Amino acid sequence: MNILTIPLRNIRRKPSKTLLMLLVFSLGVMSIVALYQVSQVVGLSLEKKLTAFGANIVVSPANEKLSVSYGGFHMGDMLFDVHDLPAAETVKAIRGIELQDRISAVAPKLVTMTKVKDTAVAVVGVSWQEERGIKSYWGVNGQFPQQQEQILVGSRAAEKLDINVGDSLEVLGDTFTVSGVLYETGGDDDTVLLMGLPTLQGLLGTPNSTSFIEVAALCAGCPIEDIVEQLQGALPGAEVTALQHVVNQRMASVHFVQKLALSISVVILITAAAMVGLSMLSAVNERKKDIGILRSLGYGKSQIFTIFSLEAGFIGALAGLIGYLSGFGASFKVLELLAMAEGAVPVFSLGHLLIAVTAFALVTVIAAVYPAWKGAGVDPSTALVAL
Amino acid sequence: MLSARNITKNFTTDGNIVPVLKEVSVDIGEGEFVSIVGRSGSGKTTLMNVLSTLVRPDSGDLHYGADNLSALSEKRLNQLRSTDFSVIFQFHHLLPYLTVLENSLLPFMQSMKPVKKADVEKARECLDRVGLADKADRLPGNLSGGEQQRVAIARALVKSSRVLFADEPTGSLDRTTGEQIMALLSDLHNDGLSVVMVTHNPSYAKIAGRTIQIEDGVIV
Repeated sequence: MNILTIPLRNIRRKPSKTLLMLLVFSLGVMSIVALYQVSQVVGLSLEKKLTAFGANIVVSPANEKLSVSYGGFHMGDMLFDVHDLPAAETVKAIRGIELQDRISAVAPKLVTMTKVKDTAVAVVGVSWQEERGIKSYWGVNGQFPQQQEQILVGSRAAEKLDINVGDSLEVLGDTFTVSGVLYETGGDDDTVLLMGLPTLQGLLGTPNSTSFIEVAALCAGCPIEDIVEQLQGALPGAEVTALQHVVNQRMASVHFVQKLALSISVVILITAAAMVGLSMLSAVNERKKDIGILRSLGYGKSQIFTIFSLEAGFIGALAGLIGYLSGFGASFKVLELLAMAEGAVPVFSLGHLLIAVTAFALVTVIAAVYPAWKGAGVDPSTALVAL
Repeated sequence: MLSARNITKNFTTDGNIVPVLKEVSVDIGEGEFVSIVGRSGSGKTTLMNVLSTLVRPDSGDLHYGADNLSALSEKRLNQLRSTDFSVIFQFHHLLPYLTVLENSLLPFMQSMKPVKKADVEKARECLDRVGLADKADRLPGNLSGGEQQRVAIARALVKSSRVLFADEPTGSLDRTTGEQIMALLSDLHNDGLSVVMVTHNPSYAKIAGRTIQIEDGVIV
């Protein structure tokens, strides 16, 4: 028995009123938790979907750039001491960083220049599966290469070289069949010939080499800078660059979903807290007699304040526990209805549960501050009138 | 032990100032049993509330031993009510959601510190003294009016108060139960407890060693 006995017993005295208050606040907490979980999962799945529209990190060989001019003749920027990256080791290192779960796709590329039909053209070797993973917007007249001797041609390159689907083409001494022509993308892919990475490596006699690697990273859980830092640590001989405009654009969409959920949560929280506050205010008025008895027994203002605050805090903590668990469960159903989870599921965290219970207990205590302060301020003589 | 000098107390009703106590002076001695009698509205309950520090007077001095109660802080007055003074009311005034034992231990439940075992034992002894040992775990709602009043008296006993203020302690009870309560108060007084009792029952007033008659806020 201690001062906590008083609010706990009082809560038990009016079970229907207590249950109603608990229900209201639990529903509020449940909505907030469900919204939070759904926004996290939807944000993540949204980001995963957005990675299909391009990479946000580029890993390239370290180089020294020189601006060369001689005798008034400008020779432009020249790259000095550039070596291709070892493809397998680099990909393995990227996939092996601490934040590896944030890496969505790793797309290595080997680039070279050659002449086809007496026209200079760039040839790019790609890993088809990874490349299509980050370029879901690609559309093809024909089909993607299925065999080693098939190539894909960019729309402007096809126009320039005057080739169509099914044509044969000699590239770097080997004959290839055009399996498809890319629809115009508005990007670099329009002007190049694309073939399998191992094929180009074989033609160039540089097995396991790659010119650069595009990486699609998920940034919702951590800043892109952390991923870049870890990549730089894992790849000392490479240059790692974050494409900030892509990152920012992508995160703006993810953050919008999360901010929307946060705004709704705040409104729900304020409403629930106001209801707890009102309920406590009416409890203070109803319990002036109790206050009078306690004051006549020597209970001070601080103790009366404590009793009402503990009562509210207990309801808040219990509502936090019930609301968190039911909200967590509800988020699965909401995601199922929205069909937006894309395989991602809400993750239960004991830490989050404890934070929720503490936070909601604190919110109810704050909501009860005015009623508790009012109760504590009741003069014994005023309370005695009620006796 | 308790000395009130020139106590004045006004209440405001509908914007009008109503004088309830007018320059009242009274002394309560150690171990004395004093009854305060008077008609309804004469100011007897207000006088008891002032003496028990539940109501602060508008003017005048109130001394308890060497302490000038008029000058004491709210905290110190709370402490005094917690230890030396006990008040019982006409309508029992127990917290309905606490058991009889918990109600009698209320003075010791003012912090997060658990009530000591010794205090629990003492509370059981006090309940035994007022004849409620077997009802310690019941809720007040399951007790008769007289039993509830006895719980309130047990509560005063548990904290070893020096002065017991009783406002119409038999007012809501039948005659037999009222007499039992008066016998209990008389016993406690014989054990050395000072009792200040407000009553309008002349026969109960006679049990006290001294009677203070109050009319229209003035002792007559």
